[in-house]
Order: sequence, then C-alpha cells, then structure tokens
Amino acid sequence: MSRVFDYLLYLFAWGSGLILVGAFAVFMGFLLSQGLPALDSSLLFGRTGMVDALLLQRVVIDGLLPALVGTLLLIFLALAAAVPFGLGAGIYLAEYAGKSSKALFSLVFDLLAGVPSIVIGLFGFSLTVFLHKRFTFITPCLLISALALALLILPYLIRSTQTALEELPATLRLTAAALGADQATTIRLVLLPQAAAGILSGIVLAIGRAAEDTAVIMLTGVVVSAGIPRSLFNSFEALPFYIYNAASQFSNQQELQRGFGAALILLILCGLLFTLAWLLRKKVTARLLYHH
Amino acid sequence: MANIIEIENLSFYYGQKRILDNISAAFGKSAIVALTGPSGSGKSTFLMTINRLWEEFAGARMSGQVSLFIDQEKLDIYARDISLSWLRRKVGMVFQSPNPLPMSIYRNLALPLRMAGWKNKEIIGHKVESVLKQAYLWSEVKGRLRDDARTLSGGQQQRLCIARAMILEPAILLLDEPTSSLDEKAAREIEALIFSLKEQCTLLMVSHDQAQIKRVADEVMEIVGGRMSGL
Amino acid sequence: MRPEAQVSRILFLAATVVGVLLTLAILWFMVRLGLPLFSTHSLRLLLTQDWAPDRGLYGIFPFICGSGAVVSLSLLLAFPLSLGNAVLIHLLAPRHLARILYQMVKMMTGVPTVIYGFVGIFLLVPLVREWFSRGSGMSVLSAGILLALLIAPTMILVFLESFAAVSTSHLRALEALGGTRRQKLVHVILPGARRGIITGFLLASGRAVGDTMIALMVAGNAVATPESILDPVRTLTAHIALVMAADFDSMEFKTIFACGITLYLWTAILTLSLRFLHFKATKTSMQVGHEQSF
Repeated sequence: MSRVFDYLLYLFAWGSGLILVGAFAVFMGFLLSQGLPALDSSLLFGRTGMVDALLLQRVVIDGLLPALVGTLLLIFLALAAAVPFGLGAGIYLAEYAGKSSKALFSLVFDLLAGVPSIVIGLFGFSLTVFLHKRFTFITPCLLISALALALLILPYLIRSTQTALEELPATLRLTAAALGADQATTIRLVLLPQAAAGILSGIVLAIGRAAEDTAVIMLTGVVVSAGIPRSLFNSFEALPFYIYNAASQFSNQQELQRGFGAALILLILCGLLFTLAWLLRKKVTARLLYHH
Repeated sequence: MANIIEIENLSFYYGQKRILDNISAAFGKSAIVALTGPSGSGKSTFLMTINRLWEEFAGARMSGQVSLFIDQEKLDIYARDISLSWLRRKVGMVFQSPNPLPMSIYRNLALPLRMAGWKNKEIIGHKVESVLKQAYLWSEVKGRLRDDARTLSGGQQQRLCIARAMILEPAILLLDEPTSSLDEKAAREIEALIFSLKEQCTLLMVSHDQAQIKRVADEVMEIVGGRMSGL
Repeated sequence: MRPEAQVSRILFLAATVVGVLLTLAILWFMVRLGLPLFSTHSLRLLLTQDWAPDRGLYGIFPFICGSGAVVSLSLLLAFPLSLGNAVLIHLLAPRHLARILYQMVKMMTGVPTVIYGFVGIFLLVPLVREWFSRGSGMSVLSAGILLALLIAPTMILVFLESFAAVSTSHLRALEALGGTRRQKLVHVILPGARRGIITGFLLASGRAVGDTMIALMVAGNAVATPESILDPVRTLTAHIALVMAADFDSMEFKTIFACGITLYLWTAILTLSLRFLHFKATKTSMQVGHEQSF
C-alpha cells in the first residue's frame, strides 16, 4: 500500500518537474527560433542608417531603437523618482518607527504592493486628467508614465531596504553605539554600507518590474510610433508595448517577425540589467566596506 | 592619587531582577583595576553603567550616580546635558569576544574617527598607522589593510578592537573579559598591550583569571551578588 | 538629539508618509471618478448586471466572472504543479539537478508577462484551437495555462522557502526512526510548511488577479459570462485596458473605475488574509530578552 503511495508521489513530483521544464523549454525554443532570425541591425534601426539614428539625425520609423530608448528612459526616470522615497521609507520603518506605526505602515505598503499594475496605470491616467484641467500642457507622457511606474516599484524598494536593515546582526548596532555613534551616524556609516547588497538586490527587482510592465504605461502615454522622446512631456514608445501591439496589429510576416525580435530583445535587456546590477552590487559593497 | 571615576549608590535592575545593589566606589587615574567575581554577579553590567551602553537594551533601569573627572571637572554622566556620543568617545569599551565589523581592517579603525566627524583622509591614515603600531599589529597587517577584519586570528581581532577603541584617545577603557575567548599565547599578548596602555588611560578590566589579575592589575575589586568589596 | 539627526529622521518619515498618502490616493481617485456611476447605478446593479452599453446596462458582472474563471483555472493548474516541483527540488531530485531546476525557476520569475502573452498567441492559442476545434482558441483555457506558468515560479519559491524553514530536529527524529522520504514529506515537511504553502498560494493568486497582459492578449475579451473553459472571456484588468481608448465622459468609461475599485479591494482582501496569517504566526513565536547581556 505505502509502496504504491511512494510511486505515486515520485510520479507526481517528477511529472510536475517534467511539465514545467518542458513548457519552459518549448516556450524559450519557440521564442528563440522565431526571434533570432530577426536580430540584425535593421531590427533596431529600421531603414535609417545606424549612425544617423544614434545621432538623432533622422527619425527611426520602423526600427526598435525608439522603443528601446523609451524603455531605458522609463526605467531610469522611475528609479530616480522611487529610490529616494523607497530607501527613506525603508530606513524609517526599520530604524525609527515604533511598533504600532511600523505595523500600520507596513500594512499600507503591503496593500500597495498588491495593487494591480493596471490600477496604478488608471491612477496615473486619472491624475493626468486632473492635472490637465489646471495645466493644459500636461497630457499622458513620459513623465507621467515614469511616475506611475515609480509608484509600482516603490513597495519593492521599501520592503527590500527594510528587510536588509532588519536582518543585520544586533552586534553591529551595539558596537557602533559603544564607539560613540548616534543613531543617524550608525545608519549612515555602519548599517547602510552593510545593507547595501540587499538594498541593491531590491533595486534590481524593481528594474525588472519597471522594464517589463505594460499595463501602467498603456494607460499613461505610450504610443505605437513617437520616435525618441525629446522632452519629459512627449509621448514615447516602449518595448513591452511594441510587443503587445505587434501581436494584435501585425499586417505582414515581417512585422510579426519584428515582434518576436522585440520580445527577444526585451528578454535580453532584462537579463543584461540583472547582470549589470549584480556586478554593481559586488562593486558597491567592496567600495563601501573594503577600500580606503 | 586623584580619582577619575566616582560611583555613588548605584543600583541596577533588569525587569524585576536586581542586578547591582547599592554600589559605591572610586577609581584612581592611570591604573589598571581588575573586577572579579562569580559569573552572573553583575560585572559586565557594572561596566556598562560607566559608558551608559545598557541604555541600548529595553527593559533595564538604574538609580544612583556615576561621575567622571575630566579636566579637573566633576561630571555627572547621567546629567541631561551630557552627550552620549561624547561620553562613549571618552569611555571606550572592548567586549568579551572580538567584534570587528564586517569590513576591512583599515575601515574598522577609521570608522570611529569618521563617526566623530573627521574628514581629512591623510590624518586618518596617520592615526590608523600609529594606533596599529601601538597595538603591535602594524607589522602583521600593514600589507593587508583592505582585507576583511574577520580574516585575522582571534588574538589579532581583539588587538584590533582595542586599537579601534584607543584611536579616539579615551580617558577610560572598559574591558569585559578581553582574553577569555583566546588561547594562552594570544591572551598574553593582549595582557602586554593592556599593560602598556596604562600610561594613556585608566583601564577597568573584568577578569576571572586570578593569575592574570596578579600580573597586570594595580587594584582588585570583587562583585558578589551585585555588591562590591575591595580586596 | 543633534539637529541634523532630527532632520534625517523627519526626511525618512516624510518619505514614508508620501508613500502612504499615494496608496490611499489611488483608492480615493477611483472612488471620486467612479462616483457619477453610483448616482444612476446601485452597487448591487453594477456588480450583478450584464454589460450591454447599447441597452444602457453597465454591469461588470461578466468581467468579475471572467477574472474569477481565469484566476481559478490558473491556480488549479499551478498549485499542484508548484507543489510537485517544490517537492522535487527540495527532496527528490539529485543535488545538482535540483540546483539547475531552482535556477530555472528563479529565471522564470524574471520573464516579462507580455512575452508570455505574445508567445501564447502564436504557440498556445493555435494549439487549443486545433485540439478542441472550437472557437478561436482565445479562451479561459489558454489564459489559465499561461497564467499558471507565470505564477508557478512565485509559488515554488515560497514553498521551497517554507520547506527549508521546517525544523531540522523533527526531521532528524524521523530519520532516526528509519522514516522514508515520503514519510518525512507527509508527516513533517508538509504539516510544518502549511503556513508557507498558504502564503505562496495567496501571493500567487494576487499576481494572477492583477495580471493584465496575458488575459488581454489570449483570453479573447468577449463580454459574455463564460459557460465553458473554451469560451472567450474578458477580465476586469483587460476591461480597463480596452475601454481606455473610448470617450472619457461616457458612462462606459466610468465603469472602469468600478473595475479598478473591485480589483483594489480584491487584492486588498488577499493582502489582509496574508497579514492575518502571519500575525497569528508571529504572535506565538515572539519574545524579547536580553538576560544574557546583564
């Protein structure tokens, strides 16, 4: 009897593993086989010459460059807006907040973390409508999208900062106190450098979220064709939206192929950002803790 | 001999438990005072009342007075206008097990200075070098200042921690069983270092090792069951 | 406290308060903008009526059903799949295979959802169409399968974390009695990780409810209440994305705020249940003590 149960358990576990690996392999295989042939310089730059496109001499019409640039700008702006607040709130929760205010604030940030990205996008859109009534130059644009994305990644930043600080051993605080450091100095010179790796991991996670999210930007200013945005108040293109649009609006095989190319580029971009942040994390930690 | 620490009617409680019971004592300048007594008798707590480190723990409270004599002036260290940072720079502390921070050897030593607001890298560098020399560590670590301090041996780590406390030029150094986690040879090296520091500050050392106390201490105090007696 | 220390404390507090206010502002904005809807539609009507703007019906019931169907199916598929994989990685697979599998799962959490949707349209949807030779293939089934693939990695990682946290002393005790791996799993690991398993399930269902792109791209977006898993559906999230293109002042447009509020509350309930689960956990295991320091 128990022998049969053992076999069933093995079958169940190995079967699950096989299904997951199989599904992922088929998924990746399909994406690679369709996307790799599309990867060449015309994918990024369309019919515009590479040099002209990079120097912004000519607008890229049918290449991915504007979408790639748009996504990078979005990530950068969203991080610039969210990191100060995320770190600040994380530090406050870990180091300053009393027991009950900490419980309350963490609950609120947990709620924020759970809010679907389309709802954040809807909020961004509502805010734009609200602002547009007062300042007519504000329409859905790069800035609004970036701010909405910042709100999306804020809870990740807060939680990773808070956990990174709270997980530090108590002896660090005691040692710093015995050397005459007050709380602010302890945080600045001892705790933050020690928590830097954890905090940066949170930022990496946030970058991933900002790079891939489609729902937020869909409601706040991304368009099919805008070229490289010239100001924060322009509409813009982005890779995930390009991919979504390619799936529903493609009119010929070549456009579809470009969609696969874009999907592959987004995947590679996410991979690169992760690697970059991982390298940065090692470097920053070394700089903060070991160099003179 | 002039006193540097005076303690009057010191009692200490943790929760409902009385740890120290109405202790009064005085310690002279530039001496090594050994505190001894059975474990759990409140010796470490006694040390922590002199740099107010016990205040970092929730649930503890004390009564009584602790005064320091600094620049011929008697200061109540529990007075309102005393800054904790200032006090803990004047009263350094070395713990039972070495507690180098998880960073480079150099940064461990430069940290107290940077926390005190020192900015000039060159001066910090000089101070680090001289305090390492004083702790007989310079020749051992000068080529590896960027290494993690935790890669040093236990004895070296403890000497680093003493150097780290001394870099702020404290008037008093509290040592909580500084050699108890080390082997005999390393313990002897620490002892020699402690002995040499007597010229610069007053040292209060908790120790169980009677032979060690005989070798280094000028005075011995015993704490039993939270009460103090001179020997 | 030194003045500059006071300043940094206030700055950190300000950052926290801004975050809290923004979270509340999201709900406030949606209620505010959806308000005109409630003047003509009662909450009950909104939640139960059909969606037929041409007949003046603006109920979001079909979309709640759509979300419910897609999310349920994805959880139904992902839960056993994730449990099986977690057991495989934690207990059964040889060490290096387990490590490779673990890395793959971690990698999967980083795959953008829009890519799942994209590949789904061109790979899975045609397959579903051929297998069942009915409809376009855009259906609850397609969306459920892709969503399961999206949320499984999250579940697996949470499961693994809770398996690893199961007390080793109990495991040793069972080993000493000559227990098999199955007995370890059934008698020690699974009961010990019960809370973690529920956590993983709730977290993953939150992700599934909130996902827009997969449903939007492969669920078909039909407004009817689904009757079979091969029917096309429109989820709450997809509805918001689809109506956004319409006229701002229309009644149609205002319903998306009702969808937004529903989604906000739905995920809030999941978050609160998680909270409750962990509140009970910490209450029993919390204790503070510094006795050894004095």
